[in-house]
Amino acid sequence: MQLESTRFGNIEVREDAVLTFPDGLIGMAGEHWVLLAHDDGPFYWLHSLDDPDLALPMTNPWTFFIDYEVKVSDEDTAKLGIESPEHVAVFCVVRASDSLADFSINLVGPIVIHSEKRIGGQFINEIGGYNVRQPLFSEVELPDVQPATNAVPVAAVVA
Amino acid sequence: MLVITRKAGEQICLGDDVTITVMEISGSTVRIGIEAPAEVPIYRHEIWDAVKEENRAAARTNIKDLPSAKAPPRS
Repeated sequence: MQLESTRFGNIEVREDAVLTFPDGLIGMAGEHWVLLAHDDGPFYWLHSLDDPDLALPMTNPWTFFIDYEVKVSDEDTAKLGIESPEHVAVFCVVRASDSLADFSINLVGPIVIHSEKRIGGQFINEIGGYNVRQPLFSEVELPDVQPATNAVPVAAVVA
Repeated sequence: MLVITRKAGEQICLGDDVTITVMEISGSTVRIGIEAPAEVPIYRHEIWDAVKEENRAAARTNIKDLPSAKAPPRS
């Protein structure tokens, strides 16, 4: 399958890298997505396969916030077929800015993916007290970032 | 949009499954009780909206906006 991305050009996507989001993202339609790695650093792009212009940067929240906690409802985990934490991968949407100090991460609406079934969704974290615009580099400096292992298949490495 | 007036203690039904009760009115604050099936997600509108807005803002990001392991970030 070919992804014709306005940002990244043409990318050949293997069938087993396609992620299904039955309900799209919050406020964003589109059932089919792929994860692209932004070089070998901590950032990824969740790219729509239905819209060549739609891609959101994201990262593994624990890379930046070691104590971050996520709880999604039983109904939401059931939607993804999650029965145990084993195959759960979590990403949070990153808002970039001109200055690294102004980068932020949305810890309220994590993206949860069943890494084997490759089914995902964006849910409201039932653990309160987190910010939609938490400064990304509030605990970790960029040079000290240790990218976490990612269990979700990546369609391509870009940038 | 439907606009209706309710008093404390009165209810609204949405279909067969969802009942909203106006529990208490105090100044400009209304306490509301919602009975709905477990699979119906219920969120404060502003939380849902804030996440939506962050998604939209994130979707405007270009490749060069993200720091890269290969090229030093713009600062």
